[in-house]
Amino acid sequence: MYYLGIDIGSLSSDAVLIDRDETVLATSVVPTGARNQEAIERATNEVLQKSGLTKDRLAAIVSTGYGRNRVTDRLCAVTEITCHAKGILAFYPQTRVLIDIGGQDSKVILLDADGKVTDFAMNDKCAAGTGRFLEAMARALQVDIDEMGELDKGAQAGLTISSMCTVFAESEVVSLIANGTPVKEIVNGLNRSIASRTVSLVKRVASDLNGYAVAMSGGVARNNGVVRAISEALGGVSVLVPELPDTVGAMGAALIAKERSGG
Amino acid sequence: MMMEYFEQLEDGLRKAIASGQASPRKIYSLEVARLGKRLYSGTNRVAWCGITAPFDLLGAMGITSCFVEFIGAMLASTGAAGEFIEATEHIGYSSDSCSYHRAVTGAAIKGLMPEPEFLIGTTNPCSGGLAVIENLAAHFKKKLFVLHVPQDESGKNVRYFADQLRDMTAFITDVTGITPDPEKLKMAMTNTNRTRSILAEIYDLARGLPSPVTSKELSNFGIVMALFLGTEEAVNVAEAYRDEFKHRLAAGATGRPKEKFRLLWIQNRIQFKNPIEKLLEDEFGARIVIDELNDITWDPIDLDDIYGGLARRSISIPFNGTIEKRVSHLRKLAKAYQVDGAVNPCNWGCRQGTGARGLIEDGLKEIGVPVLNLEVDCVDSRKFTEGQFRTRLEAFVEMMESRK
Ligand code: SF4
Repeated sequence: MYYLGIDIGSLSSDAVLIDRDETVLATSVVPTGARNQEAIERATNEVLQKSGLTKDRLAAIVSTGYGRNRVTDRLCAVTEITCHAKGILAFYPQTRVLIDIGGQDSKVILLDADGKVTDFAMNDKCAAGTGRFLEAMARALQVDIDEMGELDKGAQAGLTISSMCTVFAESEVVSLIANGTPVKEIVNGLNRSIASRTVSLVKRVASDLNGYAVAMSGGVARNNGVVRAISEALGGVSVLVPELPDTVGAMGAALIAKERSGG
Repeated sequence: MMMEYFEQLEDGLRKAIASGQASPRKIYSLEVARLGKRLYSGTNRVAWCGITAPFDLLGAMGITSCFVEFIGAMLASTGAAGEFIEATEHIGYSSDSCSYHRAVTGAAIKGLMPEPEFLIGTTNPCSGGLAVIENLAAHFKKKLFVLHVPQDESGKNVRYFADQLRDMTAFITDVTGITPDPEKLKMAMTNTNRTRSILAEIYDLARGLPSPVTSKELSNFGIVMALFLGTEEAVNVAEAYRDEFKHRLAAGATGRPKEKFRLLWIQNRIQFKNPIEKLLEDEFGARIVIDELNDITWDPIDLDDIYGGLARRSISIPFNGTIEKRVSHLRKLAKAYQVDGAVNPCNWGCRQGTGARGLIEDGLKEIGVPVLNLEVDCVDSRKFTEGQFRTRLEAFVEMMESRK
């Protein structure tokens, strides 16, 4: 029996296929684009192809993410909060604080010693500091988003990007470029501004980290610079990042699929 | 526009009730529509007030009185608040201020606020509301009396506030020529006391396991019922609710079939049409069984000391005092109604709401009640995105589920 977890986010749709031993057989990350039905199909087909299985071998599908209710043949839809919490424990069972920064949401989830969600906080009012924010900044800097994670290396770390609004931050970045500010300093400033927002969310659920293990999931966790900045802003706490941080939500969904279908 | 709205509302409700589709909520809404009509009739003597004004005392003097936020909420429920909020922003108001107040101010700018004969401001619980009243007084060039509401119920404070209420009465006499008729005043207070005791019964019944109340039935109830106090109609509305809840409990039936989770709603509801209550009940099996503002915190008014009783009532409203008092009231409600969680909408721009958020959350968490803080503009529907709210509510329910 096989179990599929699928996470339809605003930027990417991710799928994870596991077997009854909870071994990951295949993962897939595809852009969501304008039509999430297509993204759902593509992500599903990709994992099936990679694992050489056909859809009828799936015992259950659980969906998560903003498009979770668009997955028609699901067993159930579960929120990203529960799925990310469940998923991260498969990689780091000691996690007590999970930071998840996705395309338009950032959230911090507090887990108890049994892995249950005891509190969570999400970004409010706007999507500053999320994946879309970073995308806009990469565009302004004319760099590839995937390169951005290393571009802050060697920065003096003194620059502050004061605008939280994506549009204003973008024009701030453009003026900094025009003034000849080195890219590494700008990237570092952006990373630290995301970190400071994230740490406020962390403090909302855990005013004192008490030695808790902190992990990070979501597409932004692929950006080492942001992870480093968050770690520094948390006072040097190391932040655990799984190899494929985008797929943590889908992994959680796959595990829930197994659990709820009696697998 | 507003007069038409209230007329249509009254008409529709009257017909529904006459055709045998009466419900407590319809009977209550009918009174809301009638109040709206009186405010906009152009023939009634109108006073715009702060939330803690003594509406029954004003009513006994023949004045149709109402807190200004009522208009903000009504504009929101008609779906028309946006243009009024914009009108206020066009003259320089910050878009971060409370949108109840921006909507009311916009209504005044666009000529949609009935002209009052005078205004009664209250310094508590909402300083923004007082600013709106002061603006309206300037706009209409009408006299304003400000009640300085103390924060705690010491004997000295009660006497201080009772004296202000007497001064307020003298001010009204001065402006309108009306002197309070002691008999009418006593009759109004008798009605207030009757309503009070039925409201206490309703809130008691709502504690039932499962509760006979649905999430929507008592929304905005406590705060709006204050506007009807002193009248026979308030007694009728309260009786309709009490009888219906008693009937449901006796029949073993509750408002809705499922009640997996019981919720406490903090401060005001969201005023425009939104799917939150339906989502909570139909999809998540969660029901709002109590609102912070639906509680009786005051003793019956002593007919031999009406001003003292009214003063004590205004001061007693927990939303009025320190955050400590508010938190302890919320904890009392959470325990009495055995709630699994609380939802705090934290209306944008509300200093009272957002300023107290952390302390409220800590205070409830200490007794094992998790709190979902939403960031929502309760009046401006243009800022509402259903997906965001759905995820937060659903995750909160999932979290409560895992704790069961
Ligand atoms: S939401 Fe807050 S600021 Fe607005 S009217 Fe209510 S108490 Fe006042």
